Amino acid sequence: MTRVLSTLLSHYRRHPGQLIMLLLGLWVASALWSGIQAINATARDSYARADALFDTQLDQLERRDGMPFSRAEYHALRQAGLPVSPMLKGEVVTQDGTRLTLIGIDPLTLSNDNALAQANTSASLSDFLTPPWQTRVAPDALEALGITRENASAATPTLADGKTLPPLVLAPALPPDTLIMDIAAAARLLESGDQLTRIVAAPGALTEAPPGLTLTRATTLASPGQLTESFHLNLTALGLLAWVVGLFIVQAALGLALEQRLGMLRTLRVLGVSGRSLVLALSLELLLLGLIGALAGIASGVWLARLLLPDVAATLGSLYGAGIGQELNLPWHYWVGGLAVSLGGLLLAGSGVLWRAARLNMLKLGQMQAWRSGYRRQLSLMSIGGAFAMGVALALYVWLRFQSPGDGLVTGFTLVAALLLASALWLPPFLALLLKALTHLARRRPLIHWALADMQLQLPRLSLAMMALLIALATNLGVGSMVGGFRLTFLDWLDQRLVAPLYLNAPAEQYADIDAWLADRPEVFERLLTRRSDATLQAATTPEGSRSIGTPIELYGITPGESLTPHWPLLATQQDRSSAWAAFSDGAIFINEQLATAENLSPGDRLTLNAPGANETLTIAAIYPDYGNPSGQVLMASPQLAARFDAPPSSMGLVLSDEADVDTLRATLLERFDLGSDALSDQREIKRIATEIFERTFTITRALNALTLAVAALALLASLLTQARSRRQQLAPLWALGVPRAQLAQLNLAQLSGAALATGLLAIPLGIAITWGLVAIINVAAFGWRLPLYLFPGEMAVTLATAVGVALLAAALPTLRFWRASPRALLAEEANQ
Amino acid sequence: MSLRLRLTLRLLLIATVALTLFGCDEENQTETNSTGFAGLGQDADGFRHAEPNQPLSFPQEHAAHPDYRIEWWYITANLEDTAGEPVGLQWTLFRQALMPPSKRPAPTPWAADQLWMAHMAISQGEQHQVAERFGRSHSQAPLNTPQDSQAGVMISPFYAWLDDWQLKANEEADSSDFNHLTLTAYSGEGASRFGYRLELTAEGPLVLHGEQGFSQKAANGQGSMYYSQPFWQINGEVTINGKTKPVSGRGWLDREWSSQLLDARQSGWDWFSIHLDDGHKLMAFQLRGGSAQNADYRSGTWITPQGDATPLATNDITLTPLATSAVAGRNVPTQWRLEIPSVGIDINIEAPHANRWMTTSVPYWEGEVVVNDRASGEPLGEGYLEMTGY
Repeated sequence: MTRVLSTLLSHYRRHPGQLIMLLLGLWVASALWSGIQAINATARDSYARADALFDTQLDQLERRDGMPFSRAEYHALRQAGLPVSPMLKGEVVTQDGTRLTLIGIDPLTLSNDNALAQANTSASLSDFLTPPWQTRVAPDALEALGITRENASAATPTLADGKTLPPLVLAPALPPDTLIMDIAAAARLLESGDQLTRIVAAPGALTEAPPGLTLTRATTLASPGQLTESFHLNLTALGLLAWVVGLFIVQAALGLALEQRLGMLRTLRVLGVSGRSLVLALSLELLLLGLIGALAGIASGVWLARLLLPDVAATLGSLYGAGIGQELNLPWHYWVGGLAVSLGGLLLAGSGVLWRAARLNMLKLGQMQAWRSGYRRQLSLMSIGGAFAMGVALALYVWLRFQSPGDGLVTGFTLVAALLLASALWLPPFLALLLKALTHLARRRPLIHWALADMQLQLPRLSLAMMALLIALATNLGVGSMVGGFRLTFLDWLDQRLVAPLYLNAPAEQYADIDAWLADRPEVFERLLTRRSDATLQAATTPEGSRSIGTPIELYGITPGESLTPHWPLLATQQDRSSAWAAFSDGAIFINEQLATAENLSPGDRLTLNAPGANETLTIAAIYPDYGNPSGQVLMASPQLAARFDAPPSSMGLVLSDEADVDTLRATLLERFDLGSDALSDQREIKRIATEIFERTFTITRALNALTLAVAALALLASLLTQARSRRQQLAPLWALGVPRAQLAQLNLAQLSGAALATGLLAIPLGIAITWGLVAIINVAAFGWRLPLYLFPGEMAVTLATAVGVALLAAALPTLRFWRASPRALLAEEANQ
Repeated sequence: MSLRLRLTLRLLLIATVALTLFGCDEENQTETNSTGFAGLGQDADGFRHAEPNQPLSFPQEHAAHPDYRIEWWYITANLEDTAGEPVGLQWTLFRQALMPPSKRPAPTPWAADQLWMAHMAISQGEQHQVAERFGRSHSQAPLNTPQDSQAGVMISPFYAWLDDWQLKANEEADSSDFNHLTLTAYSGEGASRFGYRLELTAEGPLVLHGEQGFSQKAANGQGSMYYSQPFWQINGEVTINGKTKPVSGRGWLDREWSSQLLDARQSGWDWFSIHLDDGHKLMAFQLRGGSAQNADYRSGTWITPQGDATPLATNDITLTPLATSAVAGRNVPTQWRLEIPSVGIDINIEAPHANRWMTTSVPYWEGEVVVNDRASGEPLGEGYLEMTGY
């Protein structure tokens, strides 16, 4: 047994390059899996940070008279049974002058799933609650505190006013420049006495505001909400696709390495090794290689993750509750997934070989590759299989068309998978047909005719590698477009929602005075007052007739001015953008995509809206995208909303001139109207930070996507190199017939790059189909709204060039050898034939 | 996944640290742990200790004893609705000192040296609904009105609360009265709302357990201060699944405080409170493990209908588990035999419904039991059973 195994492995001693290629393939495939895990982890971290940044996760109670709450009032609310929690918010100044936001929370009453409460470290609650208390802080705020990462733990930095912070605890999920501590410690630092900045509650926990108080719902402020969930879903899809690509690559790498040893297997059988022990030895070899490759891949995946993102280790730590640095304690599915990529690929690739090894015909010594005579049959089987998969995809698509949004997520994923499978199966028959057609066309040019015929012979060996290349390229393109498109959508959305640099959040009754005061300030260009209210969508009048509906919707009032309208995207209008905005100012409404999809509405339809004391029928002028909003929304000009529905103001954006002195304006405004320090927020800063946080995720997603392509290229290279040796045998006779070497070399290069180009060209529509599946099927199935489909021609060109480049590289090596071979060697080759 | 993990982590944190009283460190729940069930056997340095010969004086003892580490106000009740269907309920206010008196922070706003936890449960048939709340207070902060603190206990008039979960003296009763109380607690909204509003009337005196209120809990002398009011007549209404119905029945209130309740080697307890139909009341508990031979420590009180108490010692009581039920992945004894020959007791105690697992941050079993005569099988009464450390 050992001898059989060592004989089998001796193949790699003679061909060390092949072993290296194989292990490399296995290694990179499972490293890819690990990398995707890391991306997902980081992405989740980004959501949490961005969510916390937008301060969206909590409903907020305020007194109508704008005065701060006292502890006694908070206790009275608790004793009335309201699930509220106290919060202190203020600013501290570090010794280098940086202003940091200080938030004091009560972890005993704050809802469990809040980002601030969640940014839990492994520290105990008792340490958080009792002296000397704790300061939770994200690592990127350390610099402002004058502390290095190494010394951060339990450090107690001194602030500009001489007070010291409670010992630091790092919490990477917290928003930047924010300190979180127990409300008792925060009260000491802020010297707030018995006063409270705000009283908060989990979103929706309060049905209505208690008497004398106003309730500000969490969604009032801009929130990426479902937008991030959607990105996360797409990342999950990326993870699954990367896993499939990994499987293909491993199979391609191994299939060829094992095939080359069919001769050796036959010899062993002739020498008396039983079929069973041969299969056993091969299985052992596969297992050994698989384990080495998988473990190396998983380990380096973590390394890769750390390399791509300095904080990813900390993220993994906070996600999996592991003390990274001392010990990496990843969840079981991480290891199982990594092993499954390697071993699954090995099993797929190996089972065919094992099956053949078991049934090896000892007498067919001379017909080593006799099985290839059946290739034609294989091609027709592939065509049938491909047609079947495509049929499934089409059927699923038709079925999905009749599903309501929010259903059919699994179907959506299955559809994309079926599409991929169909394309992969159709590729070899397609290439065979193409070659046949071209051969027919080139029958008057003998050399090209020969090259095409030769390609047909090579096709059985090439097809697996080409299938892997197709799937990798298409996935790469699909994911690239998805991530790129998502990024653009996110930036657009930020522009749309945060168009003004300064936002004012004041008690509702003060807006009129503030507005009048600001109107006289020369540095204020525009005042973008927003209003909010709830209403019921009573009925809709469409060309087909009237129907009653009765669903609750949000009314949102905006001020259509020159700073806002250019940034507000519209999906459908009755005529054009400018007439839509003109109608809007005159009292027409816009509705969001969610409402349009749910109620099947289009521009021109009329809606009857019902609110306390108001019943209005209004015309839809346009439909706009509202990424991340789970509910239907009707958009109206602020003055119209005030006049018709008596909606209270909810915030005011201030567009300022370039030379405006923001600090002075802020100070004057706050003092004059006696507003809280957080009444004015600088959205430019929020926008910048939000963009920064997400760019990080986009960057590593792109990096990993590039890695997917690299792996596919490597697999192609590996499979082509394994058959490089035989190329010389086939070229030698042509040389002997008098074809010049240069022409032969060119032919050789053209053959492979042509095949790769054809595959690459096929991958482009497939990649677009995948992107479309992700943004228009899977996203709609999951959330009820579609992401816009963006295409990036530059990226496609790079992908195509990569495919051709890899093919050229793979062909170059044997060509070079052929070029350098002495005529004598070529003659000897010819003689051997 | 991550959210789940974080939630779990958070619950674990609250459980292990915030309330060492019932800290739920799974690993520590074995027989040989070093701190007993939920850390109740922890070293109590710096705290005042429960000792014999500390005379109890009322109504002061109804208030919190912040110099002791742990304390509770514990009500269980066996009720019936108008259709005669049994309803069980529990309301508990736990107090835990975060640090010994010498290490407490100044009582600045929000600063806490006491952590509070409240549990409530309603059971009927297979239904068992549970809720939990947390709060904070400072023992040296002024406490003149309930609005001075999120949780606390005041005595004239009596008022124990955490948020809107309250046990307080009837408004018409005089300020030192402890015989007429109102108990209110609700949780959830709409169809999932549950809770109760009950009037409690004492039909007998307070009962001091052990040695004038000192209840020994281990052979080496550790123990707690412990008294009960076992004579509550209860009327009121309960809400289950959003539906409200009138109920009436009997209740039992336990007051206990201590700084080290268990010996470090004790792993948990089985505690019984029983209302016999002839008017007698019986409290009995056993602490598993702990003595030199790792034998169980048992104690109890036999109470006449007039409220005269006879303490029972380990040798007076025989407790035998007869059958276990699989609850929440554990095997919990839900049928017992209790023998106390000195007062002529040989009874079977059975939980009609095993699913009374308290899915609180520190899980335990607590539910109604029925009592039958061992020999004749004749029903003798009802009560409550609490089991920890399983």
